Amino acid sequence: MAVPPDIAPPDNDVLWARSLHHTHSGSPALTDVSLGVRESEILAVTGPRGSGKTTLLGCLSGRIVPEQGEVWFNSVPVHTMGALSRERLRRDRFAWISPEPDLVPELTVWENTALPLLLRGEGHRAAKATALEWLERLDIGALARKRPAALLQSERQRVAITRALASAPTVLFADEPTAPLHRADSVHVLRTLTAAARSHRTTVVLATNDARTAALADRTVTLLDGRRVSSAQAEDVEGRAACSLSV
Amino acid sequence: MLALRLVRGSRPLVLLRRLMVAAASAGVGFLLLCTLGHALSHPGPDHTGSSALRLLWCLAPLAATVQLAAVVARTDPTARPRPGLSAVGLGPARIAAVAAASSALSCGVGSMLALLVFLHLRGDLTGLPFDGKAAGLLAADRPLPLAAVLTLLALVPLAAAAATALTLRPRRDAGARAGAAVKLGAGSGGAVSGSDPRPGPGSGSGMGLWGSGADGVGRNSAAGSPAPAPPVPASPPAGLPWGVALTAAGLAVETYASRGTGSSRPLPLPGHPEIVPAGVLAGWALTALGLALAGPGLVHLCGFLLQAVRPGAVRLLAGRTLQGEARRIGRPLGVVCATASGVLAARTLYTGADAAPSFGPLTGLGAGLVLACTTATLLTVALETKQSRAPLTQALVRQGAPTRTLRVAALLRALVLLALFAPLTWAVATLAAAPLAA
Repeated sequence: MAVPPDIAPPDNDVLWARSLHHTHSGSPALTDVSLGVRESEILAVTGPRGSGKTTLLGCLSGRIVPEQGEVWFNSVPVHTMGALSRERLRRDRFAWISPEPDLVPELTVWENTALPLLLRGEGHRAAKATALEWLERLDIGALARKRPAALLQSERQRVAITRALASAPTVLFADEPTAPLHRADSVHVLRTLTAAARSHRTTVVLATNDARTAALADRTVTLLDGRRVSSAQAEDVEGRAACSLSV
Repeated sequence: MLALRLVRGSRPLVLLRRLMVAAASAGVGFLLLCTLGHALSHPGPDHTGSSALRLLWCLAPLAATVQLAAVVARTDPTARPRPGLSAVGLGPARIAAVAAASSALSCGVGSMLALLVFLHLRGDLTGLPFDGKAAGLLAADRPLPLAAVLTLLALVPLAAAAATALTLRPRRDAGARAGAAVKLGAGSGGAVSGSDPRPGPGSGSGMGLWGSGADGVGRNSAAGSPAPAPPVPASPPAGLPWGVALTAAGLAVETYASRGTGSSRPLPLPGHPEIVPAGVLAGWALTALGLALAGPGLVHLCGFLLQAVRPGAVRLLAGRTLQGEARRIGRPLGVVCATASGVLAARTLYTGADAAPSFGPLTGLGAGLVLACTTATLLTVALETKQSRAPLTQALVRQGAPTRTLRVAALLRALVLLALFAPLTWAVATLAAAPLAA
């Protein structure tokens, strides 16, 4: 480690990563990525597919332990935690939204929403009240008693967002939350997410490869081939018809 | 041959399941050949009945083996349509054909083994211990009819291949069901397109269903999925009343048929009229059928009771999973329950009366085969359930669900099933054995 562990990151950063390196069984995923996430901001991580966005979010949320580098959450080192502590951290302080809704098909919508609260050990009644309140707040209260199979994909994704918000996380990780949706649904879902996050001062780390999505964020970090770059632009024009001289 | 190549590259657990099928097939083949030996050494019209009876008794282990082979083929990772193979033209139908060939192959290996052991015990093959130890029993003095041997030995592989093809055939309504599974977004359908139950770090479920569904390949391959997890049914399985009625009817038939003694009994069995009258056997068969039919309903009931009043996370997950998987896991569980109760009742029969029949090695082999096959089927189905829920488990872990909670939920499921099915087995066995012991 380059930095001794007693030097904590700056206080205004709720999450802080320093020179992360990670490979997926040999294939490089992240190379020397550092970033800080300020409190109650919406940070967009952009980049094309395969640029390491999901891996970065995984490292920040403690799902993946980076091979090199450090991750700090509120002045607590995440990279040195054991598996159980990271699990507890994820359950109590973080929430995660996947590209697919990841709902439990056997549970109804409100049960799915209440599941993180139940997993934290909250009582059945309190968890149900919180879940129903959040479903109402996100305009899907009418769906509360349906099963995920009976919903539209955009509705399911909104349920997944409700589930993430209902557990009142400190940091919400959204990994391409609108990837399977059409544009109209996508805009709606994103507005819901950002509005709820801003009104509850939740920190959001949003991975996306869509420039319009990134425009909703306070700040943008761009990844390209696992490195942080100032902007992702296609540099090589080789093979383009306009430049080809061999025709 | 593609089936062989796929088998060669499999993981040890998959190979172990195939070996189990081969061993079961060897056992059944040996039983069939021993029946042939009995028929050869007892020619004449007087003994036709007893030989036919032995052949009939081979049906139980045969059915258990075929069930095991079909379930193993369904669980096999090579038998799932995958986007890669589908793209090169190996769609659901050809995958089913390959799986049937693999099943026939494992059962054929078992049959060859049975033939070797049989010939060896007859004394036709020499050079090993136990040379010709059962020469007298297996009619070594008579030539073996080749056609009969081939017919008997081909029975298991053909039946297993047919059952596999039937299980994995691309169904017409599979498109709708796969569509529903795709709609679920999470879980069950994901196992179909991302067939590897243990995806590596790079192929997390983010690349799973929607990743491959985006270009249409994933959905097409899911459309002919061999073992698609059915979408969560809104209604409980319907077999419970039928199952209870059949079980009760079976017990009643059995009690009725075991009145009186000897030839005064209704429906005496040729061969052993004193021991097991045919009516009792019919009653047992009805009871077993009833238990197999009632299994899904009972599992659903377990799940319902488990999540009934104000459930926490563990009870909610365990109970709803049981309700969702009731159809898949209930049938083999009912079969195991029926087999176990049959074995318990038979133990009363063999130890109770003073005229207890001798318990020969072939009876033991047959009973052991049936027990082992049904148990292995149940375990394989449990494994299949776990595999098909792997994406969902990963999703729950991503949400921060502690692995301990998930393990406790799984343990709770097993305990609740045990708590319902163990007393049920005991009760059915006691009721079935009561008229026999009297």
